[in-house]
Amino acid sequence: MSAALALRAEWAKFTTLRSQWITPLLAVLLTTGITAAVQAAYGRVDTSLEDDPAGGIYYGLLFGHVAVVCSGVLLVGQEYASGTVRASLAAVPRRGRFYAGKLLLGTGVGLVVGLLSVAGTHLATAATVGLDLGQPGAGRSVVAGVLYHPLLLVICLGATAMLRNLTAAMGLLTPAVFLGTTFLTALPGVREAAYFLPDRAGLYAMNYRADPAVPYGHWTGLLVMALWAAAAAWGGLVSLQRHDA
Amino acid sequence: MIEVRNLTKRYGATTAVAGLDFRVEPGRVTGFLGPNGAGKSTTLRMVLGLDRPTAGEALVHGRPYAALEAPLRRVGALLDAHAVHGGRTARGHLRWLAASNGLPRRRIEEVLEQVGLAEAADRRIRGFSLGMRQRLGVAAALLGDPPVLLLDEPVNGLDPEGIRWIRTLLRGLAGEGRAVLVSSHLMAEMALTADHLVVVGRGRLLADLSTEAFLAQHGRARVRVRAVDPLKLADLLRTSGTAARPVEGGAWEVSGAAPEEIGALAARHGVALYELSLLQDSLEEAFMRMTADAVEYRAVAA
Ligand SMILES: Nc1ncnc2c1ncn2[C@@H]1O[C@H](COP(=O)(O)OP(=O)(O)OP(=O)(O)O)[C@@H](O)[C@H]1O
Ligand SMILES: [Mg+2]
Repeated sequence: MSAALALRAEWAKFTTLRSQWITPLLAVLLTTGITAAVQAAYGRVDTSLEDDPAGGIYYGLLFGHVAVVCSGVLLVGQEYASGTVRASLAAVPRRGRFYAGKLLLGTGVGLVVGLLSVAGTHLATAATVGLDLGQPGAGRSVVAGVLYHPLLLVICLGATAMLRNLTAAMGLLTPAVFLGTTFLTALPGVREAAYFLPDRAGLYAMNYRADPAVPYGHWTGLLVMALWAAAAAWGGLVSLQRHDA
Repeated sequence: MIEVRNLTKRYGATTAVAGLDFRVEPGRVTGFLGPNGAGKSTTLRMVLGLDRPTAGEALVHGRPYAALEAPLRRVGALLDAHAVHGGRTARGHLRWLAASNGLPRRRIEEVLEQVGLAEAADRRIRGFSLGMRQRLGVAAALLGDPPVLLLDEPVNGLDPEGIRWIRTLLRGLAGEGRAVLVSSHLMAEMALTADHLVVVGRGRLLADLSTEAFLAQHGRARVRVRAVDPLKLADLLRTSGTAARPVEGGAWEVSGAAPEEIGALAARHGVALYELSLLQDSLEEAFMRMTADAVEYRAVAA
């Protein structure tokens, strides 16, 4: 009953603040739009994209997922930046309940963004270079593509709850996802560890084909990301319960 | 309604609240007074379960705040009028608050009307003046129609009109039988608004008494009087047995008498007056004396 109210409060916060709902919308538009443009322009000629169909299908995600990160950061970070966190906790004083409302909303928003983005990128691919969903790995790639979004969003939401600061969370997470892990995989020695970073592992789960350099299988990649999400969610809860608001 | 017992809060080496005990009773406005840094806001945050006490407890309706179901129906609070997201509209801000406690939507319209923000309801808070933000904060506190209200410096930044509005509102809410706790560092304002005073300094309780008792102890009005002939006036005051003392400029200050009495006395004895006025600053002075030892930061007299 009251947990449902906490979720309804989060939904009301989400719908009454433009930046909160524009950001996930932007994620869908960026991912779908960039995939569509790249497939239309290069899909038929660039063999590197054809090497693994996922490379072309999810090309836009490399940009769109930055907006997913922002969305997760904003859900919690704006409470701290504006100071509404105190009003929120006065309204829902059981912190676990308040946090559950945030997590549920974040997961829901992530799922919707994932479903729309995956549908959009696959439709765009079908309309441009053609799409064969009967290929081995295609079904898993769709499932992983959808789940990547709520998992990434929850990771960022939990991390922001740990940092309790909008600017710090943005400054840390956005470049980490946009640039950081790509650079890290280029460094020998660090590369092996970098494969276990959440976005790397999640993106790998979308690939149709196996990469012998990656030390785990596709489904395991999704599991690695899910473990990160669970850890971040738990860390955020502990931080919220431990600190004065 | 609110019970604070041995409430203590330390932040590292700073003791913000040191073993505070007091109660906030229904049907009256309790003024929570103290100079800057006295621990008022910290106390209110602990009552609301936002900060965890180092020791002691604060109970609302006999229970810790966090144990209340739908707390906005039991306690309304205004902590900081700036702690709102500027991107939301006034109505949007109240909407999520109402949703969190399952409050009916019509309450949003009612409180917007009550605080005079109905016209501005769909404007973004970013463009609100401080006075409008305070009104929105009061609207949020009233949303659940709670029997207990906690307001942290609600008159901060308000113009005289706004201050009178808050005063009338608080008196009305207490008149309906609600418990109202309102913090301030303005003694004179509280003397007009509060029925009861809880005075703190450096986190300690300095006084817990009715406003009437405080006024009787400290607030005896003084009358300032100046005559055409200062010697004649001095004679008159001395022989009439009033408690008068000379102040600069040949004027006298008489305590324990009303201006009417002094005026009548002077007229009877044919003493022409230049000046006859009631001095009200004694309350603020009494407050400053009371908290003098407890002021955290003080300008050092050169
Ligand atoms: N989160 C915090 N961390 C460290 N010290 C704090 C914290 N909050 C308050 N303090 C300290 O506790 C003391 C009491 O502060 P508080 O804000 O409760 O006073 P106040 O009576 O509300 O003052 P004011 O009239 O200025 O609002 C101050 O010395 C303040 O610096
Ligand atoms: Mg304060």
